[in-house]
Amino acid sequence: MDCFLSVVYCNGFRQWTTDNGQRSVDFITFLQLIISGLAMGAIYALVALGFVLIYNAVGIVNFAQGEFIMIPAFFGITALVTWYLPVPVAYSLVLAAMVVFGLVFELIAYYPLRNRPFLPVVISTIGASILLKNLAQNIWGAIPLRFPGLFETGTLNLGGLRIGLQHLLILGVTLILLILQYLLFEKTLLGKKMQATAQDKQTARLMGIPINKMIALTFIYSALLGGVAALLVAPILNVTKDMGGPIALKAFSSSIIGGFGSIPGAILGGLFVGVIEAIAGKYYSAYTDGVAFFVLIAVLLFRPQGIFGERIAEKA
Amino acid sequence: MLKVKDIETYYGSIQALKGISLEVNEGEVVTLLGSNGAGKSTTLKTISGLLRPVRGTIEFMGERIDHLKPEVIVQKGIAHVPEGRKIFPGLTVRDNLMLGASGRVKLSKAQIAEEAEQMLELFPALKPFADKLGWTLSGGQQQMLAIARGLMARPKLLLLDEPSLGLAPVLVQEVFHIIRDINTRGTTILLVEQNAFMALKVAHRGYVMETGKIVLHDLATNLLNNEQVKRAYLGTTKAARRQVVG
Ligand SMILES: Nc1ncnc2c1ncn2[C@@H]1O[C@H](COP(=O)(O)OP(=O)(O)O)[C@@H](O)[C@H]1O
Ligand SMILES: [Mg+2]
Repeated sequence: MDCFLSVVYCNGFRQWTTDNGQRSVDFITFLQLIISGLAMGAIYALVALGFVLIYNAVGIVNFAQGEFIMIPAFFGITALVTWYLPVPVAYSLVLAAMVVFGLVFELIAYYPLRNRPFLPVVISTIGASILLKNLAQNIWGAIPLRFPGLFETGTLNLGGLRIGLQHLLILGVTLILLILQYLLFEKTLLGKKMQATAQDKQTARLMGIPINKMIALTFIYSALLGGVAALLVAPILNVTKDMGGPIALKAFSSSIIGGFGSIPGAILGGLFVGVIEAIAGKYYSAYTDGVAFFVLIAVLLFRPQGIFGERIAEKA
Repeated sequence: MLKVKDIETYYGSIQALKGISLEVNEGEVVTLLGSNGAGKSTTLKTISGLLRPVRGTIEFMGERIDHLKPEVIVQKGIAHVPEGRKIFPGLTVRDNLMLGASGRVKLSKAQIAEEAEQMLELFPALKPFADKLGWTLSGGQQQMLAIARGLMARPKLLLLDEPSLGLAPVLVQEVFHIIRDINTRGTTILLVEQNAFMALKVAHRGYVMETGKIVLHDLATNLLNNEQVKRAYLGTTKAARRQVVG
């Protein structure tokens, strides 16, 4: 896969720094970094949202969130490469499979432990993570696989500013998804019931809200977010059983940086980490993966409630 | 309408209800009195299904409900307005109201929205705050909202847990006025209160609880004049009574 599409696993952006005009090079370089950073940040944001929605709904941190990306990436390879299905069919199939996956995950890893304290449930998700990785290795093998992208080497050239089409796709789809999510949670009764379930389960039950259904739906939605993120990002990464770990860790950091539990915080935190990481990766490429954690520690030292966490802290 | 018989409810190994029996007839306001920790809230939670009794039975409209889930019991016609209001803090007043009708699955969203508007007309104090988030309301507004939200379930029986708790005297008056009003419109009410004087004024009958048991049961007018009740719950001085009346 071409280097310019990847922020995480390639070093630098050689192509355009050499053949662009002189005067505007620095600004364009910077702009390009920002855009690719935002694209990777959008992926972190999607995964961070998955974390936060599950946390808000049931009060646990899902340590298998990374596998919510890895599994659909492999599903996608099976559908696109093994079965050779057309892209729309394959993508729809992956998302449909993630609906089932989210439900099964909830029924096995969460539901039986729903009345237990935090720790047993968290351990259960860690167990699920290990199980899923072993399963993936058994089914798809240990060799990294390539996920066929929609755009082989496509870039959009805007007066010297080159933007990878995959990056554009990531940003566009994420934006649409966030709008849909906003409409779901803020404009539909179902979304309100999911919010009510997250805010106060006992009272939600007294209102007649079927909270177990709402919780299952939250897991399903979280798995769907992973599915979308996987379809978007897998073409610019290697697909391996361990691919979810670093993304999930950075997404988790993003959600803490944004203020854990806050939905806007998860989105902005993800974008923030993506951009910082892209800029840092340009100048200190060896440390790209560590940047998110450095930022996390800095934020926790100076703003323990997270950058965007103020309003939530006030609410509590 | 409601027949509670010998129920025993536990929190883990701690027995909170030690054989409670009570009845509520259609059209009544029945009050359940008792000091803090007597088991009043536990009784309501057991009726609404949040807690399951280990022994005893609960019948509503001739049907056993003691094994049902709360989300089913509300559909049978019992709405429980919990202690502490429990408004959804991150949702607007209007959304809180609409969610109160969640058990009425046959209604469309438009119908529920319409009923929420009607409810806002009935609670004019809430109307200016319809689009404000729950956590921004004052205690009195939250209590009005909690009651209004309970009514959105169109209950036959309304369980109210300490609706006057922590409210200024004027608001206490208003809450009891609303309770009487709801009852006159045909809803049966089981009212848990620490404000025994006001509760007995509005109720037809009353039960007095102590440490998980019913110790007294009579018409409200008799309980108001009962020496034991006067001493324990009404205060012996006229000053205490004056304070309550405002
Ligand atoms: N969640 C709980 N866990 C353990 N014990 C509880 C719980 N809730 C209430 N209790 C106990 O049950 C008894 C009855 O409580 P409650 O029904 O809340 O009393 P009331 O509403 O009359 O003030 C009290 O002794 C209280 O300490
Ligand atoms: Mg109580």
